Amino acid sequence: MRKTFIVAVREYMVSVRTKAFLIGLLMMPLMMGGGFIVGALMEGRVDTKDKRIAVADYTGRLFNALDSAAQQRNETAIFQGEGAARKQILPRFVLQKIETGAADGEDMQQLSLQLSDRIRKGELMAFVLIGPGVIDASKDPSSATLNYYSNTPTYNDARNWITGVLNEQVQQLRLEGAAIDSKVVRRLTQRVPVGNLGLVETDAAGNIIRAVETNQLANFLVPFAMMFLMFMVIMASTAPLLNSTLEEKTQRIAEVLLASIPPFELMAGKLIGILGVSLTMATVYLLGAYAALNRAGYAQFFPWQSIGWFVGFLSLAVLMYGSIFIAIGAAVSDMKEAQSMMTPVMLLVVSPMFVLQYVMREPASTLSLVMSLFPPATPMLMTIRQTVPPGIPVWQPLLGIALVVLTSLVCVFAAGRIFRVGILMQGKGAKVSEMFRWALRG
Amino acid sequence: MKKENLSPLTQPCGPASRFGRRVCRVMIRPHVNVVEIEKVTKTFGNHVAVNSVSLAVPQGSIYGFIGPNGSGKTTTLRMIMRIYHPDPGAGAIRVLGETGFTAASDRVGYLPEERGLYKKMKVSDVLRFYAQLKGHRNPNPLIRTWLERLGLSEYTDKKVETLSKGMSQKVQFISAVLTEPQLVILDEPFSGLDPVNADVLREAVLELRRKGATVIFSTHDMAVAEKMCDFIFMIYKGNKVLDGTLDSIQDRYGQDTVRVRVEGDGFDARTVPGVEKVNDFGRLQELRMIPNTNPQILLSELMKRGRVVHFELTRPSLHDIFVRIARPAADSTASSEQVGAAHA
Repeated sequence: MRKTFIVAVREYMVSVRTKAFLIGLLMMPLMMGGGFIVGALMEGRVDTKDKRIAVADYTGRLFNALDSAAQQRNETAIFQGEGAARKQILPRFVLQKIETGAADGEDMQQLSLQLSDRIRKGELMAFVLIGPGVIDASKDPSSATLNYYSNTPTYNDARNWITGVLNEQVQQLRLEGAAIDSKVVRRLTQRVPVGNLGLVETDAAGNIIRAVETNQLANFLVPFAMMFLMFMVIMASTAPLLNSTLEEKTQRIAEVLLASIPPFELMAGKLIGILGVSLTMATVYLLGAYAALNRAGYAQFFPWQSIGWFVGFLSLAVLMYGSIFIAIGAAVSDMKEAQSMMTPVMLLVVSPMFVLQYVMREPASTLSLVMSLFPPATPMLMTIRQTVPPGIPVWQPLLGIALVVLTSLVCVFAAGRIFRVGILMQGKGAKVSEMFRWALRG
Repeated sequence: MKKENLSPLTQPCGPASRFGRRVCRVMIRPHVNVVEIEKVTKTFGNHVAVNSVSLAVPQGSIYGFIGPNGSGKTTTLRMIMRIYHPDPGAGAIRVLGETGFTAASDRVGYLPEERGLYKKMKVSDVLRFYAQLKGHRNPNPLIRTWLERLGLSEYTDKKVETLSKGMSQKVQFISAVLTEPQLVILDEPFSGLDPVNADVLREAVLELRRKGATVIFSTHDMAVAEKMCDFIFMIYKGNKVLDGTLDSIQDRYGQDTVRVRVEGDGFDARTVPGVEKVNDFGRLQELRMIPNTNPQILLSELMKRGRVVHFELTRPSLHDIFVRIARPAADSTASSEQVGAAHA
C-alpha cells in the first residue's frame, strides 16, 4: 500500500508540476468560453457600410411606408449609447425605388435580371420584388409574391427587417380595405405572456412561499457547465495516462518498477495519482466558477447539492477511463498504434454529448434513464439529469453508481491483467483480440 | 588466458562443497542459499524460454550467468525478481528464504539489461523514487554518497535526458544498489562502458560483496566472468548446461587444449595431426586436441613445422567452452553475432 502511495505521489507531482498542466488548466475554460468571448468581441465589429436595397413595388402602395420605416431606423435604431458616446453599430438600409412597368411576368423578369446585374456589379446589396397581388391576393393568387434577392444569402438582417415591416404594412392595408380599425384588432389579438415558474413550496412555518420565476442560468447553463466540466477533467487527466504508461513501457522503466512493486499495485498507484490530478482540476474550476458566479451576483445558482455526486461520478469515471488508457498504453508499442486504439474509447467518452440535448429537454423520460444507466455515459448523463430541475429520484444515481463501480472494477481488473502482460512485451503491439485474451486468461 | 590471471577469489581455502572441488571463499556461506530454484520452467506461448532449470546461489558469492542471446538468461533473472512467474506447477523459486509471488523483495536490487529511467525527471528524483519503492524512507544521504562515488555529483539536479549512455547506466546501477540490498541482480552491468567506468562499477560490485551482498550478474564477457565469478551458470536454449566453479567446469573438459606460438613460414596448425580445432588469436593459437592425443607427440609434430616459441598445456578457457556449446546454434541459426559478442 505504501508503494502504491509512492507511485501515486510521483504520478501526481509529475502531472501537476508541468507547465503543460498549468497551460491546460487555463486553456480549457478559454476554449469553452472562447466562443462567447470572440462572439462578444465580434458584436461591435459589424460592417456598418450602407446596405443599398432596391425595391420594385408593383402594388405601388408599400414603398413609401417601407422607406419611411427605413429612415426612421437609420435615425434611431442603429446606434448604441447616448450623446458623445453614441456609436453606429448597425449598417443603414438605404432604399431605392425602382420604377415598374406593367405588372406582367415579362417586365418582372427583365427587371429582376437588370437588378441582379447591378448587385453583381456591387451597386446594390439586394433587391425586393413586391408582386401586384400582395395586398389583395383574391384576384390573382399567383401575383401575391414577395421576393428578396441577394447574393449574400447568409446575411439575414435586411431580409428579416423587410419581412417584418412589409407584413405589418400589408396587414394594415388589408384591415383598412375591410374597413376594420387596426387599433381594435391589435387590442383584440394581443398575446398573453406565459410566466415560467417553479413549484410552490412551504417554509418551515408552513407558510406558502410564492413560486419564483425559473431562470435559464439554473435550468440550462449550470447542468451543461457541470457536464462539460466533467468531460474536460476526464479527458485532461486520464488521456495522459496512456502516454505515461507507454513511456514506462518503451523506456523499460516498467521492468525496474516491477522489480519493486507488483503490477496491480503499480497500476493502482498510477490511477490514484491521476485521480488526485482530476480532483485538483475540478476543485480549481469549481472554485473559479463559484467566484465568478458570486461576483456576478448569481451565487445562489451554484449547485451545492450536486457537488458530492459530481465528485463521486467524476472519480469513478476517472478510474474507469484511466484504467482503459493504462491498458492501451501497456498493450501498444508506439503512439501511432495507441491513437487508433484510442478512437473507440474517445467515442465512448464523448457519447453523452450526442444525446445531451434530448436528455436536457426530457431528463425524466425513460429513454433518458436508460441512456444514463449505460456505464460509460452514466457519470455525465446522471450529473445532467440531477442538475436539471427538478432532479431525479435518488435511487437512479445510486443504481448508476453501482453499475459504474462494477464497470470500473471490471476495467481496473482487466487493465491490470493486460498491463501485467503487455508492459514487458517489446516489439509488436497487441491486437484488441489479444488484449481480451490477456484480460480473460490473466 | 593465463591461469595466473584468474581471480584470487577462487583460490583454494577450505573444504570441498557440492559446488566444486575448491569452492570456499571465506565469505561464501555455502550452507545458506540466497536463491534456490528448483526445476523451474517458463513458457511464452509455445516457446519454452526456460526448461526445468535448477540453481542454488550461496550467500556471499558472485554468480555469473552466461549464454547466447535469447537463451533464457534474462527470463531466469526476471523470475528471480518475481517480474515473471514460472509456469504453474513447474517448480519453485525461493529468494532470501521467501517463496510466494505476492511482493518483490525489497532486499533485492536489480539492474535490468535495458536502462529504464524517466527522461524528464532529475537524477536525484529518479533515484529517490526508486529507493522509496524499495522501502527506503530517507535515501538522500545515500544518493549523495553514491553519485559522488561514481563521479556524477554535478548531475544531481540535471534531468536524466541530459546524461550520456554511460552516465545513465551508472545512475541505473546506483538505483539497483542504493538501498544496500542483500542480493544484487545485474543484467549485463558492464556492457557499453568504457574501461575506466567498467573498473569503477566492478570495484563497486566487489565492495558490495565485501559488505556481505550476494551478486548475480549476466555477461557476454567471458574474461570478466572468469575473473570475477565464484560460480558460473550457463543456460543454452532454456536448458542449464554449465553450473559450478570455473575450475570444476574446466575440469570436465580436461587438459585438452594447447596454447602455442610457432614461428615458421606457412605454418598452419590445422594440418597438424591430433588437432581437432584451432582458435587463431594471431600471435597465439589455441589448439584443441582430439581426445587421447599425446601432447608430446603434438609438440614434436609442431617442432617439425617451425620454431616453437611457446607451448602450454592447459584447460580450455571459458570462452572456448562457451563456443563449444553454443557454436552449433550459432552456425545453424545465423546468430553468429551472439558468439561474436562472446568473443569481445
